Amino acid sequence: MKSFRGEPSIVAEARPDDKRADLELRDIVLKFGGITALNRINLKVDTGELSAVIGPNGAGKTSLLNCITGYYKPQKGSIVFNGRDVTGLSTHELTVIGIGRTFQNIELFAGMSVLSNMLLARNLHCRYNLAHACLFSRSVRREEVRHRRILEELIDFLEMQAIRKELVGSLPYGMRKRVELGRALALEPKILILDEPLAGMTLEEKEDMVRFLVELNHAWHQTMILVEHDMSIVMGISQKIAVLDFGVKIAEGAPEDIRNHPEVIKAYLGQASGA
Amino acid sequence: MNEALRDKRAAGYLSGARSRKPAHSFAGLTLPQVLFKQAAALGRDHIAIRQKAYGIWQALNWEDYLRFVRQTALGLWSLGLRRGDNLALVVDNEPEWLFSELGAQCLGAVSVNLFTSAVAKEILHGIDRINARYVIVQDQEQADKLLENKDQLPGVERVVYMDPTGMRHCSQSPWLISFAQLLQAGEVVDREEPDLFEKLLRQGKSSDTAVMIMTSGTTGLPKMVMLSHDNFAAMATQWMASNPIKTGDNWISISPPAWIVDQMWGVGITIFSGMVMNFPETAATVTEDFREIGPHIIITSSRFWEDLASKIRVKISDAGPIKRGFYNLAQKIGEAVIKKEEKGLALSVPQKALKSLAYWTVSRPLLDRIGCLQFRTALTGGHPISPDVIRFFRINGLNLKQCYGMTEACGIFQVQPDGQVKPETVGTSLPGALVKINPDQEVLVSGPSIFQGYYENPEATAEALEDGWLHTGDAGYIDDAGHLVILGRKQDIMRTRDGEPFAPDFIETRLKFDPYIKEAVIWGEGQPYVSAFINIDFENVGLWAEERQIPYTTYLDLSRQPAVAELICKRVQRTNQALPEAMRLAKILLLYKLLDADDEELTRTGKVRRKFVAQRYQELIDALYGDKTELAVKGKVHYRDGTIGTIETTLQILSLT
Repeated sequence: MKSFRGEPSIVAEARPDDKRADLELRDIVLKFGGITALNRINLKVDTGELSAVIGPNGAGKTSLLNCITGYYKPQKGSIVFNGRDVTGLSTHELTVIGIGRTFQNIELFAGMSVLSNMLLARNLHCRYNLAHACLFSRSVRREEVRHRRILEELIDFLEMQAIRKELVGSLPYGMRKRVELGRALALEPKILILDEPLAGMTLEEKEDMVRFLVELNHAWHQTMILVEHDMSIVMGISQKIAVLDFGVKIAEGAPEDIRNHPEVIKAYLGQASGA
Repeated sequence: MNEALRDKRAAGYLSGARSRKPAHSFAGLTLPQVLFKQAAALGRDHIAIRQKAYGIWQALNWEDYLRFVRQTALGLWSLGLRRGDNLALVVDNEPEWLFSELGAQCLGAVSVNLFTSAVAKEILHGIDRINARYVIVQDQEQADKLLENKDQLPGVERVVYMDPTGMRHCSQSPWLISFAQLLQAGEVVDREEPDLFEKLLRQGKSSDTAVMIMTSGTTGLPKMVMLSHDNFAAMATQWMASNPIKTGDNWISISPPAWIVDQMWGVGITIFSGMVMNFPETAATVTEDFREIGPHIIITSSRFWEDLASKIRVKISDAGPIKRGFYNLAQKIGEAVIKKEEKGLALSVPQKALKSLAYWTVSRPLLDRIGCLQFRTALTGGHPISPDVIRFFRINGLNLKQCYGMTEACGIFQVQPDGQVKPETVGTSLPGALVKINPDQEVLVSGPSIFQGYYENPEATAEALEDGWLHTGDAGYIDDAGHLVILGRKQDIMRTRDGEPFAPDFIETRLKFDPYIKEAVIWGEGQPYVSAFINIDFENVGLWAEERQIPYTTYLDLSRQPAVAELICKRVQRTNQALPEAMRLAKILLLYKLLDADDEELTRTGKVRRKFVAQRYQELIDALYGDKTELAVKGKVHYRDGTIGTIETTLQILSLT
């Protein structure tokens, strides 16, 4: 079917500008009372990159993500997205300019179907107003069909055909994570931020998820920041890795550099050898 | 055995040798030539192929169908596929499968379908057997099987993949091209040489080999059955003459393309009759898609019906008391009706009223739920089915009939006629097919649909084909009404030490009707009594255990629970009572793992490979005929990635007497 029906419209109809995602964090400082969660963090992500943020428990990974997505406001420093200073913008404003995310602990509506959950994300792209919707005019119908088509393409991509009408609450954990990724993609974000997408999954579910992430990056040219615990997987799929430890960036670079970085080994294994 | 029967057998009694219909306008044409004519006749007004994609049924009309076959054919031509070549297909049920198969036939090439569930070794072997220079694969998973073993495939020049997902990293390799590229290449050739396709198409002769199908190989290495276009035409003629098949009727493609059923219907009969070929969205959505399409006719393995029956029973037992009450009442009415109908008696007026009440309140909604409401014909074949399953569906108003066929005969040639459904028979022959019984009880068949022979295997061909009669290898007899009764594989008929004959298949199918028993393998050749290996049904026994708050972890653990052993013993004893004295089981054991095709214990179509199982578990069989009540075993399990695991456990030998 795929060989003669062409590429999904979500890929085929994307203009180059839709995919532009240059993110830069400059000297970010985040404090909770006396605790410095993030200390002068610099990070740069270019269009088309799959970069990862790793680090031991409590290193500040999720705090960093929450700064980027507007949940926390850093006390110092600035965040620049596509040349615009977006520091201090609220979460919904950031979503509009193209920053989408998934959560470490799944945040879906358990009593709604997979489709409804994903449709919610399309609200951002709705062009009609309440009056139009009440009349259900032809243009509204056309737009609704387009939204559904994009969702179906995502469902097809994420292999969720068999569960599209199921209630999210009845799905196994790994599937719910997949639905959450689907909902984030339905936003058509320029940059997608994934908070531990593989945590708590079985090996098979992990393999599926990694397959999707790699394909998203390679074929759909989706820019992504990945926060993840599973070192071996991160090393295998990301192009650039930043390592945090106690709120400080201790290393940054290609996977092979990170693997042998003395600071990283120390952070992960403790002070064991040499010191 | 009565006198008349013996006479009939001695005379080589021919059943159902009705006169053939006059050859219709498609006689002497190849399958693509028929498609060409159908595309002209049915054109854009009729749907040829439907596939559910992006949540809706997407249709192709007959002109589209021909156009894609044309592009695929010319694309394969541009790669270098020529008359006499073989093409290997490792694909699932998707339209591209039809395009590839018919496209190859346009060029005079022959395609062979391999199972997508097969491990790399099996696929390499298949490709090697037919010296295929080109392989069309489904997706990354299948392509990887070839890529990882590229050094063992020196003869393969190109691999075409259908689904581009995950293939981007391979796009630089000239060894691999996408199906979309193949279609584009075909379009280019068509623009440069517009007459080429028609020229190639005309060169095809109906006596050419159309496809080759691997036999399931219950008895050893698979053989390649060569079927000609004439075979397909004969099969289509037989079916269209004896069944009400209309243009636009629905066929749903759910059995693997490597199997004869979807070749004979999906490729053959749908093209001849103008039926619609429907492809489900994914394997996981078949139940839902099946219901949406509501096929008009279905032929599927007995396992499909057995699974469906046990699913319905489990669901009903989970339902509320009101629903259950209605259901049980309808079953009682249905049973009474069936009993009367089987005897050929007329129903009384109140009975008729009850029957229609049961139909409208229970059976009809039930059939609608499982997508079986539109059936004109529902057939089961491939393996003997328990009469209880047939009765179960007939009680619920589904006209489920048994049929009998062989890959070597291009499909089904024996079907139960309407109104004469007897549970133990497989019915009468379709017009055109001749059936007789050899003195040694073997069933022979002849007719225009009999295959051309096995590929590069003249010895096997000579063994199977004698003067145009195909030796089926099944033992059977023809009953008083002229219906064929199959006892089982000829070489599988066993005798106990006292010389009592028993058909293992016969017992196994009855055991398997029990919702708690997934698979059974019967032993007893030359032994004092009959015994069996049992695979419990993990899902249903698991539910049973949960209800009783019996904790378990894995299949192995569940099968070792004393309560489960007790349950299965009780169930087997119940089946025992319905069996003739000589066939009753004396001892059983519950296997510690499910029999699996990856361990070579089942064929890919799900039949038990008795010899392999016997070899692997000889120790266990010995134990069934010893005095031990317990046995320590160490078993091997093959995983799909090639690794081998071991299981260590203690087995209970369960005595039923």
